[in-house]
Amino acid sequence: MTVPNPSQSQMPKGKDVAKVAVGGKTQGRIVWEQFRKHHIALVGLVVLLLMYVAAAFAGFLAPYGMNEYRRTPVSAFMPPTTIHWTDPETGRLTRPFVYEFVSERDPVTRQRVYVENTDGPRYPIQFFVRRPNQTYRILGIWQSDLRLFGVEDPARVFLWGTNSLGKDLFTRILYGGQVSLTIGVLAVWVSLTLGLTFGVIAGFYGGLVDDFFMRLVEVLDAIPGLFLLIVLATLLKDPRNPLAQLFGLQMTSAQTFLMIVMVLGFVSWGGLARTIRSLVLSLREMDYAQAAKALGASEGRVMFRHLLPATASYVMVILTLAIPGFILTEVGLSFLGLGPSELDSASWGLLLRDATARGVSIQFVPWLLIPGIPIFVAVLCWNLVGDGLRDAFDPKKRR
Amino acid sequence: MLPYIIRRFFHLIPTFLGATLLAFLISQLVPGDFVTQRALEPNVRQETIDRMRAQFGLDQPVLVQYVRWMGSLVQGDLGMSFSSNQPVMNVIRRPIQNSLYLVLFATILLWMMAIPLGVFSAVRQYTFGDQAVSAVSYFGLAIPNFFFAQVLVLGLFLFRGFTRETFGYSSLLFPVAGMTSNGWENFTPWHQFWDIMWHMIIPGFVIATASIAGFTRVLRGQMIEYLGSDFIRTARAKGLGNRSITYKHALRPAIIPFIAGIGALLPSLIGGAGLVEIVMAWPGITPRLLDAIQRQDIYVVLGFLVISSLLLMIGNLISDLLLAVADPRIRYG
Repeated sequence: MTVPNPSQSQMPKGKDVAKVAVGGKTQGRIVWEQFRKHHIALVGLVVLLLMYVAAAFAGFLAPYGMNEYRRTPVSAFMPPTTIHWTDPETGRLTRPFVYEFVSERDPVTRQRVYVENTDGPRYPIQFFVRRPNQTYRILGIWQSDLRLFGVEDPARVFLWGTNSLGKDLFTRILYGGQVSLTIGVLAVWVSLTLGLTFGVIAGFYGGLVDDFFMRLVEVLDAIPGLFLLIVLATLLKDPRNPLAQLFGLQMTSAQTFLMIVMVLGFVSWGGLARTIRSLVLSLREMDYAQAAKALGASEGRVMFRHLLPATASYVMVILTLAIPGFILTEVGLSFLGLGPSELDSASWGLLLRDATARGVSIQFVPWLLIPGIPIFVAVLCWNLVGDGLRDAFDPKKRR
Repeated sequence: MLPYIIRRFFHLIPTFLGATLLAFLISQLVPGDFVTQRALEPNVRQETIDRMRAQFGLDQPVLVQYVRWMGSLVQGDLGMSFSSNQPVMNVIRRPIQNSLYLVLFATILLWMMAIPLGVFSAVRQYTFGDQAVSAVSYFGLAIPNFFFAQVLVLGLFLFRGFTRETFGYSSLLFPVAGMTSNGWENFTPWHQFWDIMWHMIIPGFVIATASIAGFTRVLRGQMIEYLGSDFIRTARAKGLGNRSITYKHALRPAIIPFIAGIGALLPSLIGGAGLVEIVMAWPGITPRLLDAIQRQDIYVVLGFLVISSLLLMIGNLISDLLLAVADPRIRYG
């Protein structure tokens, strides 16, 4: 049986009439079709999905545990491990392998250098290794000890080098994504909730209420955001602060994480509230809002059932374009050491902090800058997706 | 004009009061107070602690503390710094000055780079050059400031390694840390000025790049809109040259939103400067603020918050006034 083309078929019956009247497409479908034509934005979306999946499966993809390191033999500031693809004797392609490294002092600069022990045995890279003493959980639920790849002791494979303690940077960047990629997305919701609620209320009631909220936004705007963030994050991170005492918080890693989300959202809802307010100011005079009121709908219903949804397409775009900003802010805070702490997480900002630490000369350890690349890619992709969405929602730019 | 200025000025007062109140409330989040730290030292007696509390007014209720602090604030007194035992004003003046130099320099650099780029993209719309500019501006939008600074520092070191091996020239192309060279105090004033400018190049450039993207994009849109409007067609019909049309007729109205944006730019520049200051060891506000907050030196923290918000509001006011001057369509009656 063939499916009839709507344009050729007879007039459909019943509830299908309404759908055909608007071309058989919902708003969401139109937007998605428009978005799909925006190739760069689509690439951004795919890359982002890959990054989020990689962060979620960090335990599986990473060869080591997040805080795993060994004191002996020393592995601090080890450069990225060279992986050999060819057999040094025959020159033919072979199974990828690594050598063990030994540390030496450079006679001139006194810097520690690592030299491959090419006389020693070769350690082939193994795939799907089980490491029973280093288990991890995926999404906090499934426990496992299966790793995508690894090498046998005593050799080790550090794809992107190690930090001052000898922790594997590749592993830590994967885990860092869990913090840096999610904080922005969560903070946007806090900011959105505050901004929408206050914006709608201010726009709907007008008068004194409006004045109050808009002055509040101005006051928040008057203090430079970064300084406000620094002060709030530092003070609230301390478990002895009065607010934590009041709620009995210990500021564990999860609580610190949520605190940062809250602070980011709190500092940034002003702009959104202001725009939503001006949208609502004009929307509430529309016929349908007046009609709802005349039908006896309560104020809350008019505000949140009738006015708020009308701002949805605008809000979605703002939301997407706000996320990269939040990611940058979180990374900056962590760079100052004010984000989630060193031991239980490895935000990308925190990893970059190592590169400016005292006593580190960046020209000898350039790989410490690698964590900046995923930040760049993530922020870029969010911007691309946001721009794509904006164009997709804009009827003037339909293609 | 004058009544407008005065009215705008009075409009600032409630906002400023609100900002100080917010800052003060936040300072109440400090666990314990400055004296609590002293109390942990074994050789400090309880009477000493009580005396210090009374001396700094820490034994009073919060509201009383706020009113007292506010009272001295309007007289230009920001209180005493606990840790260095000096008036707060003395402690925070230099860092604020240094940050302002940097932000000012970055702003000028931003305008110098962004205006030609925006005009270029608008005039050569959809060409390769236009697309290159937009690609570069995406780059500036996505790279974190402090990371860009770190990359540039690394680049300078690598370049030095290269020049040392090929030319035997072993000093850095640009300074990568601090605001002055060694022995700066003994330089002539002219030399001192150039030395600071010299140190500002890298951090200033980094701070400017972050805002170039947005700036260029909006300017491009504005220019395209104006270039397609009737008065430009009239100008062309009169036989005016391209250059004059672009720069005299289209750029002038297109630049107006940016004059208004100076005020809005300030917070992002100050914020952006913050992290770069840390990487480049610039003796500005952010490093001192972090330091003060770790020492729980509340009045210094408050001083920074209050003065920076005051500067911000003044910046906004100035940009509004500039806007009223630049755009004859704005009525300020």
